[in-house]
Amino acid sequence: MTRRSTGLLVCLSSIVVLLFATAYRVPAASGKAGPPSDRGSQDQILAGRRLVLSSACGDCHGYAGNNPAGAGFLVGMKDTTQQFRIGPFITRPKNLTPDVATGIGSFTERQIFNALRYGLRPEETPDVQITSTVPGQGGFPLHPHYLAPPMPWPSWRNMSDEELLAIAAYLKNGLKPVRNKVADSEGPPDFWASEYTVAKIGPYPAAPFPTANEKAP
Amino acid sequence: MNLTAAVARLSLQPGVTSEAFAYNGHVPGPTLDVREGDHVIIHFRNNLPEPTTVHWHGIHLPFESDGSPFHPIKHGESHTYEFTVRPGTAGTYWYHPHPDRRTGFAIGKGLFGAIVVHAAHDPLPSSLADKLLILSDNRFLNDGTIDFPDSASERGGIDEENGREGPALFVNGQHMPTISIRSGEVQRWRVINASAGRIFRIALAGRTMLQVGTDGGLIEKPVEVKEVLLTTGERAELLVRGGARGTRTVLQNLPYDRYSPNTRPADWNVTRDLLSLETTSAPPAAPVTIPSRLRTIVALDTAEATAVRTVVFGQGIINGKTMDMSRVDVSTHVGATEIWDIVNIVGMDHPFHLHGFQFQVLDRDGVREPYLAWKDMLNIPKHSTARIIVRYDDYPGKWMFHCHILDHEDHGMMGVLEVLK
Repeated sequence: MTRRSTGLLVCLSSIVVLLFATAYRVPAASGKAGPPSDRGSQDQILAGRRLVLSSACGDCHGYAGNNPAGAGFLVGMKDTTQQFRIGPFITRPKNLTPDVATGIGSFTERQIFNALRYGLRPEETPDVQITSTVPGQGGFPLHPHYLAPPMPWPSWRNMSDEELLAIAAYLKNGLKPVRNKVADSEGPPDFWASEYTVAKIGPYPAAPFPTANEKAP
Repeated sequence: MNLTAAVARLSLQPGVTSEAFAYNGHVPGPTLDVREGDHVIIHFRNNLPEPTTVHWHGIHLPFESDGSPFHPIKHGESHTYEFTVRPGTAGTYWYHPHPDRRTGFAIGKGLFGAIVVHAAHDPLPSSLADKLLILSDNRFLNDGTIDFPDSASERGGIDEENGREGPALFVNGQHMPTISIRSGEVQRWRVINASAGRIFRIALAGRTMLQVGTDGGLIEKPVEVKEVLLTTGERAELLVRGGARGTRTVLQNLPYDRYSPNTRPADWNVTRDLLSLETTSAPPAAPVTIPSRLRTIVALDTAEATAVRTVVFGQGIINGKTMDMSRVDVSTHVGATEIWDIVNIVGMDHPFHLHGFQFQVLDRDGVREPYLAWKDMLNIPKHSTARIIVRYDDYPGKWMFHCHILDHEDHGMMGVLEVLK
């Protein structure tokens, strides 16, 4: 029963993912992740800001929508109208401002990068470079703890390294910390691992262009 | 004292035997009963099939005798632990293995024992019966085997997540023992949580108790309590009074939700009985007077603090890192006073333990600590903060600080504090 309701919810979350995925379109930059830095440059922070606004992070993680001047921008959930019911579980949008105790202030940019690229909860995943998506290999945790649905990281992960690092730089260095404690999301004992298999969300990186559904121009 | 750790087949529960690890053939091991000022020498032999150490939890002693993962003792080898019990440290402590990555396993197999340090001048009446209550838990398969699932399995993953617990609760290795008390009698209970993962929340049904001590010995004044939360590794000294003649009450373990919402056990909210306290039909004992003042604890001065260390507890990680014995996470000097700001950013409790030095709690979630106490364990509840103050007296070395949910510690939730001369 739990499994069925979880499946249903993930279907719902996929719809959210699709909606969000069509809401943004970013040019695919190429290149490798530079060394994680704790202070992004002004250009990097502004690039991150554009991505955060166009990726609609504020739709869930706060109550100012995507208006960076609005009260409650990216501070996470304040009341239960903002939480999700995923099958039998309640999940909650977290505080994305750099407050150490209640936000993302204690995470490195690499941990935020690993959250967006691999869906790994930064508060529960060591700050290491990950070179594999196979649990137990290449820094990928043996028992991965994934971000709770409907966080659309399976779409977000397709951004380039530079783009994801720019988002991390903006959240860490371009926002003022706001203290807002959000309770943990509920979830299955495997921390959603059975919902985020390659069979369900596809491989990373995506199959080379063109696939059977696509055609070269 | 001679102490040997070895494999033993013991009857840990009625009617079935288990292959256990035991100190001197018993679970718990022998109690180390010493006085302030004693020079303690323990001749230890490791007859286990794996490396081990003996960590003297809470005792202020030289680094070389701390029994941390820096000083493993191989199978078949012996080691002499030696330390002098410092004045002012009378209290209740315990000892257990602390090998690299295997502490939870070794304690679950049965390796733990109590240390009682008696004061040169104890303010409590010597007529009080002194009772030791070592709390532990375990989980067994039907054939008596102590249950350690494969870490790659789902059950193993949940143990790693929660910290392994079991439904079988023990006091001094016994299930539901009985303590007798006379009406009007006051007993001094030294309670130790020797469990690898379970946080005990104990209460004497229908009675209050007087708390007189914590990890590092007596507090300044007795405090009346209805219940005591004892996190892993933590100790409390409690004064318990007999009831009406011929009556019985029960020491219970009340539900306490320390768990992540993802892996909270289905039976987390079950109250379980620990011990039966029976008031005899003998005539009431002569009344005893409990002093209203037990001792003076000098507060460490925040104005003297030369650094503030921020320690962020994630799940299985500290400040985003897992344990690396070749890394120093905090470097300081003997005699320095420092504040540690401990932040738990996840939805599971993490008990903080510092080796070598007793500390004082300043505040929890910004609320000032109600009384002074010496501590080496501090539960940091889910999504909460605490500030402690500590002075690194006497002993240089590399000291561990870690989560005392032992599965978390074994998976790297530990750091190294280097105290230089």
